[in-house]
This record gives sequence, C-alpha cells and structure tokens, in this order.
Amino acid sequence: MKKYFRIWKQLVVLAFGSYISNRMEYGSYFLGKIVRFSFFLLMVLAIFGHTQNIAGYTKYQVIIFFLTAFLMDSLGQSFFRGIYLFRQDVQRASLDYVIVKPVNTLFFILTRMTDLLDITLLVPLMALIIYAFSKLGVLGNPAAIFQYLLFVAIGFVVVASLHIISAALTVWTMESEVFIWFYRTSTFAALFPPEIFSHPIQLFFTFIIPIVIIVAVPAKALLGILTFRLALTAIIVAIVFFTGSLLLWKTSLKHYSSASS
Amino acid sequence: MKKYFTVFKTSWENELEYRFAFVLSRFRNIVYLLLLYYVWMNLSQMTGRFAMYRAEELTTYVFLAHLLRSIIFGAQSRLAALEINDGTFSTYLVKPITHFWFIFWRELAQKMIYFISAVCELAIFIFFTKANFLWQNNIKFLAFFAVAILGSIFLYFLLTYLVSLLAFWSREAMGPRFLFEWFMEFASGAFFPLDILSKNFLLVFQFLPFAYIIYFPLKIYLGKWDSWQIVMGISMQLVFIVISSLLVMVAWKRGLKRYCGEGI
Repeated sequence: MKKYFRIWKQLVVLAFGSYISNRMEYGSYFLGKIVRFSFFLLMVLAIFGHTQNIAGYTKYQVIIFFLTAFLMDSLGQSFFRGIYLFRQDVQRASLDYVIVKPVNTLFFILTRMTDLLDITLLVPLMALIIYAFSKLGVLGNPAAIFQYLLFVAIGFVVVASLHIISAALTVWTMESEVFIWFYRTSTFAALFPPEIFSHPIQLFFTFIIPIVIIVAVPAKALLGILTFRLALTAIIVAIVFFTGSLLLWKTSLKHYSSASS
Repeated sequence: MKKYFTVFKTSWENELEYRFAFVLSRFRNIVYLLLLYYVWMNLSQMTGRFAMYRAEELTTYVFLAHLLRSIIFGAQSRLAALEINDGTFSTYLVKPITHFWFIFWRELAQKMIYFISAVCELAIFIFFTKANFLWQNNIKFLAFFAVAILGSIFLYFLLTYLVSLLAFWSREAMGPRFLFEWFMEFASGAFFPLDILSKNFLLVFQFLPFAYIIYFPLKIYLGKWDSWQIVMGISMQLVFIVISSLLVMVAWKRGLKRYCGEGI
C-alpha cells in the first residue's frame, strides 16, 4: 500500500510539472470547469426562484444531488484520468512496458495522470456540500453523514469499475474514450433527482450506466429517504460491476496482442 | 464555389467514416434533451406553466434548442487551432482556397449530418413521450426565425473561428477554447431560456453576442417578441457579426505574420 502511495505521489509531482509549464492552457481549463459548475448552479437557483420544489424535493435537497454529481465526477477525474491516455498505449503497444513494471498494471494505467484541476475543485465542492448540510440541518446528524460517505465510497467503487471496463474494452476495440464518455455525459442526467425521469429511464440509469447508484443513492442516504431495497440494489450493483470489470480486464489482457511492437 | 462543395462532400464522408465521434456527440445531446425535457416538464405539469412560459412553450424551447444546437454548434474550427499549433496549417497556405471558407464548409457538412440525426431523434422522442410541440403558423415569425438562424450560424462560426486563431499567439489555445465553449453554450440559452434568470443577469446577457445564437431565434419562434423587438434583435445580431468579422480579419492578418509553421 505504501509503495502504491509513493508511486501515486510521484505521478502527482510529474503532473504538477506539466501543469506549471502550460499555465494558460490549464488556467483556462480550470476557469472553464468553474464556469460549467457555476452556470448549472445558476440554473438550479433560477428554477427555485420560480418554484418551491422539483419532483417533491426542496432547493437544498436538489442542491445535494447536484453537488454530489459534481463531486463524483471530480473524484473520477482526479484519480483515474490516465484512462484517456490508454488508447495510445494499446495502439502503439507501449502497454508492453507497463505490463513488465513491478506494479499493478491497472493501477498504473488509471492513475498515471492526475487531474490537479479537479483535485483543486474538490475543495470548494466540499465546502459547498458542508454548507448544504448545514442548510438541511444534518450537520449534527453523524449517522446521516456516515451513510452519505459510505454510499459515496460505494459509488466511487462503481466509478472505478466503469473506468476498468473502459480500459478492458480499449484492449479489444482500441477506442478508449467511447465507454467512459458515455458515463461522463450521463452524469449530467444526475444533476437532478432521478424521480424527474420516467421509470424506464430510471432503470437504464440504475443498471446500465448506474449514475443513480453513484449520485442519487448517497444523496438519498443523507436526506434519510433511502429505502432498504435501493440500498441493497446499490451494494449488489457495486459488487457486480466491480467483479465483472476485473474479470473483463483479465480476459481482455489475454487478448492483448502487442500488435504494433 | 465548386471546390468548397468538394470540401463539403469530403467532410460529409469523413464524418460518416468516424462513427464513434458522431455517436458520442449525439449521445451527449440526447442526454441534455432528456434532462431538460424532464426538468421543465416536471416544473410545469402542476400548473401548466413555469415562470412566463406555458408547458407547451417550454417543451418546444427544449426541442428546438436540440435542433439548433446541431445546426449551429460545430467542432471543426477547433481543429483549425490544432492545425495551427502542429504546423499542418501550412498546407492551406499553398492551396487555392480561403481558410475561413474551407473550415466553414467543412463544419457545415458535419452540422447537416447532426441536424438530420437530431430531427430523427426528436421525432422518435416525441412519438414515445407524446410531448406537445407548439407549431408556429405565423408566417412573419417563421420568416424572422429563419433569418435569425442564418445569422446565428454565421455569428457562432465567426466567434469560434476567432478564438481558434488564438493559436497563432499561443500553443495553449485549447484551454481558452474550452472555457469559451462552456460560457457560450450557457450564455446562448442552449440549456434554458435566459429570461428565467434574474433581470440583472438577463440584462448582462443581452449585451453579449451569445444570446443571439439560440435564445433570440427561439423567442421569435415562440412569438414572444413584437416586430420592433425582433428588428432590434436582428440588428444586434448584425452588429456582432460585423464586429466579429473585423476582429477575424485583423487576427488573421496579424496572426499570419507570427506563424512559423513549426512541427511540419
């Protein structure tokens, strides 16, 4: 574990060097992320300027869904951004050099690039989440916060699984971004409570691209409206996705032909 | 003109060849369509209206925004920035073409394919959701709507092309483009009608060119503005087109002097 932390720390230092040498580029990307977040937040606030609730949820309840969606996206970006470089590795067969390293291949692939912009964004996001907690009156409710963090952790396992599936599919199809972009695009649908959607769409976002598990379940746990059935579904989906993704990854590695080397 | 039609045709074939990018782009737009449709539908289903819009007007706004995004927003001028940075831009300088129009026609082919796809997506969506769509039958509004869309296509292209020309001055042009694209997408009204925001925000947005890209044509279609407001809007659109054209010309001339074609 210590070894992997040292490797990750070194990768972060390397990423920092890259960010420092392209200040205008990354500064603009950072501002772009803030603009995207601010405008979506503005949209939510504008909506509540005209109504008291959406699908039965009050302003700060909806904001919890909204902030959790951004939190989970930023966590994925912060730690697994290496997935966007993986296609090149497969196409150029430089994956050979990764496989022979004395480190878990999957760990290296996913974490080799750390998004420092998203790690930085996590700070104001956490501050806003704590502010929303206080507005909802759950700051003095450790059980609710514990449940929220527990299901955020379960959601993060699903996020990791989706990145592993993406890596596995890349070995087969050589189109790394396909799957992960489908997931990232879908997170926009999680900005609001899932109840706004029709039932078939909710099922799609629970079992196929499980953003309901990733975002809505932690939010509902915090609000104290998570049913036992949905909590159990979240745990089962996380286990199925995680074990399934690891099996898929192992199978895909057997198919890796190192074609270009 | 014939050479630009050839560019259009080649770009069309290229777009169909790289189907992944196409599918991904459409999926992104479909997710936006789903999200926005269901949000507005939920908000308006109780009373039949939300803010100053009837339910039918809101769904029409979402549907038409979906169509306009496909025909107005494009990604080809982003490639221009990359080409300037990696030096492949040099190949355009020895060809008997105008770079601006080359990129314009290349992007137009992509937009046409996206538009056809968006129409199909919308037809399927309306069929399944049985959503109400407001059919505008006032010829005056429809005519102004068509004119405003034409203006939007040119205004959007000029603005994005201008941002891409930043690549003449910096190898880090993609970051500013990312920032610009997100700002423009929201400020254009592609996600929601700008007048649901507070009056102060609306006032600021009305003096920016972006509001004349999606929000303005859709307000015309919905019949929300009188003739005077429409004429003023089209005049603003024209003013922004002229200003952007001048800026593009200046940036192009100065940028070419700085260009050194490194990387080829």
